[in-house]
Amino acid sequence: MAKKVKAIVKLQIPAGKATPAPPVGPALGQHGVAIMNFVKEYNERTAAQAGNVIPVEITIFEDRSFSFVTKTPPAADLLRKAAGVDKGSGVPNKQTVGRVSRDQVREIAELKLKDLNAYDIDQAMKMIEGTARSMGIEVAA
Amino acid sequence: MATSQDDTTSPAWLQLRVEADREAVEPVSELLARHGYQNGIVVQEPIVDELSWGEYVTDPNKPVVLTTYIRQDEASETSLQAVREGLWHLGRIRPVGELEVTRHTEQDWTETWQSYYKVMRVGRRTVIKPSWLEYEPRPEDVVLDLNPGMAFGTGLHPTTRLCLRAIEERLRPGVRALDLGAGSGILAVLMAKLGAAEVVALDTDPVAVDATHDSAERNGVAGAIRVGQGSLDAAEGAYGFIAANIIANVIIELADGLAEALAPGGALVVSGIIEDRYEEVALSLAAAGLHLADLLREGDWVAIVAEKR
Repeated sequence: MAKKVKAIVKLQIPAGKATPAPPVGPALGQHGVAIMNFVKEYNERTAAQAGNVIPVEITIFEDRSFSFVTKTPPAADLLRKAAGVDKGSGVPNKQTVGRVSRDQVREIAELKLKDLNAYDIDQAMKMIEGTARSMGIEVAA
Repeated sequence: MATSQDDTTSPAWLQLRVEADREAVEPVSELLARHGYQNGIVVQEPIVDELSWGEYVTDPNKPVVLTTYIRQDEASETSLQAVREGLWHLGRIRPVGELEVTRHTEQDWTETWQSYYKVMRVGRRTVIKPSWLEYEPRPEDVVLDLNPGMAFGTGLHPTTRLCLRAIEERLRPGVRALDLGAGSGILAVLMAKLGAAEVVALDTDPVAVDATHDSAERNGVAGAIRVGQGSLDAAEGAYGFIAANIIANVIIELADGLAEALAPGGALVVSGIIEDRYEEVALSLAAAGLHLADLLREGDWVAIVAEKR
């Protein structure tokens, strides 16, 4: 019989470098998960992707066991790399910090498609464009 | 600016929590990650409780909760201010909730999981007992009394259980043994209790070194276990048995050194290896001149037993 899901927790942390410090410790500890077990598994499974932020979706069951799947890097991360900027704009409604081309947006949308709640590539591109705007990254027409 | 270093024993953390609608999750994540400790964030999806068995169903009517953490120190006010301003600006574009800030210490999360830690039997006669629980042992039981804190090795993870089984099956009394990457010291304690003449327990993490000392004392085997901080280069002499429950990359890197540290006729158990990496690790051990003697599996984790003939 399937186990009852207690919580879904998604973490964005650097690949291969999880530690019991925040955010991992409090995010999992509050649900009764043995933190070090997650740390060990995440680091072992993401060792090859060191240098990237690898989001992980953790399903915590009522008996405090857990399973997890790793996802594609966050859209914001990919946009920053595409635009060649270190960070997004602090005032995205006023100031832009960089720009990306439609082709770059399409590339990111294709990579992220399986993790987005999008029906097709056009909808996924709209979502990526929305994220870009909120970060002060302009999309070239 | 004045700095205060008074409270260094238990560092305090500020939890920054904000609710956002689905569309705003990415930009809010980006903002929190920019200021959060190690750029880490937590995204908690609202789920429909009664529909979530095995798989989960998200509740589209509830907001997503985003959290990050910053250390409470002289710089935290500046970070907080920057996050508040960033959220205000994002709020002009998308609906974003209020920022809630609460203070936490490490005890708030390091101890919660312990209430789910139970007495557990592994292999034929090894029994793991959390120190705060009672257990009436059977005559043949080897009881490991543990309070692992934040060190790895509770017995709740398959790799620990695989190593315990391998040790139980293969460790011969009287050998000199090495536990590399000792963590909580759980493997070292079992080796000492099964009659190893001397156990050297090494870990590069000072938290693990303390935990191993504590486990050795708690189990009455402090006299048989020599605990040290370091990796393989701190292990002097030859060993009749070696356990290394680390991760695949480290084992591959240390394969030659492990083979060298084994006495002729000695056995090695390595784990912390997911199934996908089995072949690579096995090849590295074979290339180091060891003979693969056994493969133990649990879930998608494996432990490899190798011998020096």
